[in-house]
Amino acid sequence: MSGDLSEFHEELRSVAREVLAERRRLGTAEETATLDWPVLAASGWLGLEVDDTFEGAGATLAEVAVILHELGRSPLRSGYLGSAVLGVGVLNLLEPADARDELLRQMAAGGVRLAVGVPTGDDLVGPVAAPFRLERDGGRLRLFGGAAFVPDAPDADRLLLLARDPTSTLAVVAVEPTDAGLRVVEQPVLDLTRHLGEISAEGAPVTEGSVWRFGGDPEASARRLVDRGALAIACDSLGLAEAMLEATVEYAGVRHQFGRPIGSFQAVQHACADMLVQVMVSKELVAAALGALAGDGPDASRAVSMAKSHVCAMAVDVVGKAMQLHGGIGYTWESGVHVYLKRAVLNRSLYGSPATHRKRLGRRYTDGVPVARHG
Amino acid sequence: MTPAVPTDLERFRAGVRDWCRTHVPNGWRDAQTGVSDREFVDFQQNWFHELAQAGYAVPHWPAEWGGGMTVGQQIVLYQELAAHDAPRLVLAFVAIHHAASTLLAAGTAEQRARHLPAILDGEIWAQGFSEPDAGSDLASLRTAARREGDTYVVNGQKLWASGATYADWCLLLARTDPAAPKRHGISYFLMDMRSHGVEVRPIRQATGESHFCEIFLHDVEIPAAQLVGPENGGWRVAQETLSAERGMTMLELAERLGNAGFRWLLDACRRPDAEGHRPIDDSLVLDRLAGFETEIAGLRAMCRSLAVRHETGHVGPADASVVKLYYSELLQRMMNFGADIAGLPAHAELHKPASSGWESGAWVLDFVGSWEWTIPGGTSEIQRTIIAERGLGMPRA
Repeated sequence: MSGDLSEFHEELRSVAREVLAERRRLGTAEETATLDWPVLAASGWLGLEVDDTFEGAGATLAEVAVILHELGRSPLRSGYLGSAVLGVGVLNLLEPADARDELLRQMAAGGVRLAVGVPTGDDLVGPVAAPFRLERDGGRLRLFGGAAFVPDAPDADRLLLLARDPTSTLAVVAVEPTDAGLRVVEQPVLDLTRHLGEISAEGAPVTEGSVWRFGGDPEASARRLVDRGALAIACDSLGLAEAMLEATVEYAGVRHQFGRPIGSFQAVQHACADMLVQVMVSKELVAAALGALAGDGPDASRAVSMAKSHVCAMAVDVVGKAMQLHGGIGYTWESGVHVYLKRAVLNRSLYGSPATHRKRLGRRYTDGVPVARHG
Repeated sequence: MTPAVPTDLERFRAGVRDWCRTHVPNGWRDAQTGVSDREFVDFQQNWFHELAQAGYAVPHWPAEWGGGMTVGQQIVLYQELAAHDAPRLVLAFVAIHHAASTLLAAGTAEQRARHLPAILDGEIWAQGFSEPDAGSDLASLRTAARREGDTYVVNGQKLWASGATYADWCLLLARTDPAAPKRHGISYFLMDMRSHGVEVRPIRQATGESHFCEIFLHDVEIPAAQLVGPENGGWRVAQETLSAERGMTMLELAERLGNAGFRWLLDACRRPDAEGHRPIDDSLVLDRLAGFETEIAGLRAMCRSLAVRHETGHVGPADASVVKLYYSELLQRMMNFGADIAGLPAHAELHKPASSGWESGAWVLDFVGSWEWTIPGGTSEIQRTIIAERGLGMPRA
């Protein structure tokens, strides 16, 4: 089984690498380097985690992680994170219902684009901070609140918003961006490969049927969703770092100064060696977190916080070193190293900073939670 | 001779736990603090004997020689030994790891039969590789072995041979062809430390201890049957067995650091000072601790992956250097932090318990001792060059 699976991963990886590298080559101007929706829809990657009863691939987060890793290696503007990772992720956590099932079916076919309103910043320690709340106004439900820097929100056809209902229970409210009382505003950021938006609801009327319930414990489900976002970003950062390490080693092998390739100088060699060590450690942390989140163990959040904090900080260091070792050319717009750097720095902040995730880990040392001997 | 090992991991864990509860000597840390060399050696040999009887001394060896544990079982064993604060095997380290892997990979059937059972009975080994003028540039070693009939006659000087004072045998690299390019004229020998002409002098190191030794060799006769691998093929034997072996030694050290090491660090951070302030109540301290716990998790996972690749024959050319470099520098940073947290009282701990390993809880001594990891066995700088050139294929300097 594991043999078949790793073969499947390799195939998925090599196809994705080829397709994405080609798209990046086409997008010579950064502003237009996108993975267009029809290409994404045709790839089959959107429905990887959609059950086969809804015409999806019936695969798992491990396969989605392969695509995320490749999207980090070839950063392009795409709707993958909002739709396939968080969108499908939240739908799979919900109770089966016709509307939900229909959305999964559409997702697998690439017929709908989603964005998910969960905390994108540092509200990680303590109970899940739902960005939205439902209030009962006479017989009607109204939605209040807001979420900023939501990936893929400006392009979304449907918004799935994490909200506390009037009884303070967590639920997901499914709305359309054009609904009355809702506003989606594009938030331009320095990283042109991400498309972020701010969603706000100021008393938007909501029907009972658009309040969708989690299948399991709502708090634990919402926690899983937030962890999924954080881990997805860690996968992306791992890809960024890996690609920049490879590019740097290649460049150092061809760029000559003082009559020899700069890669033969120890200062350059040792910097690259440190990059490789960091990438290898990060790979292990990502793999461990993927395993923990798939297994739904009590330690999943721990493993995710380890991966998110370490890998996203590592990627900034590695990409920064790549810019340094590329010298003057690395600082040019044309070289494209800045694309990786900006994405790595944004990734570091998205879904919890390293310090926030370490804070979540560190609480265990004072709460009397047993720490050692895991794993 | 070796008890059967239960295959079910949790059952196995329970067995190791029971064994630890009844066998880890009570109060050994205090009893072993400031002891004489003789007491240290006796303690190590007794502990080795206990482990060997339980089948826990050489879990990484092939089953036919008394090992045969899976990587998963080894991890559990190392975790439980560390969690029960068992003494470390210090004296047997070279024997059970380096000597054994060399014999298994390149030794003759006679050499294996002579030494592997003897090691399980407590035969102690040292490693005679480095020399005064051959440190990082090991291949420039000058100790010479001249063939005379069925014997090699060896002259030269070895340096940094850990535990050589107590060693019965020595893994020796010596030059057998002075005319050949330097890596192609070296042979690998098994040398009896009781041979005539072997003189050992301990070197006092930065911690005040004297585990490292100089070995002087004057016309030492080594029978040709104690050559490992082909004559002039010793460099390759040393490189292959050392890098392959590293993965398995690191498995134990990483589990130690993760279980005993991090726990000591947490304890130090929870200890109130005279005014009742605890370092752990400082958010910056918590942040550092979380960072260390994360790095240890990465290290442990990396060592496990390496051990698995080792078993399946997929070890990359620089994998061993990556784990050695990462472990040694992480250890050093952790011990530095521990010394900082423990503050002045740690400077009054003048001795650390012998047999306690690299993270004994005597933070300042542990910090000073951490250079014993970043310098020997290929300095961090040499490891980085190996990683760049062999792992990444960068152009040679």
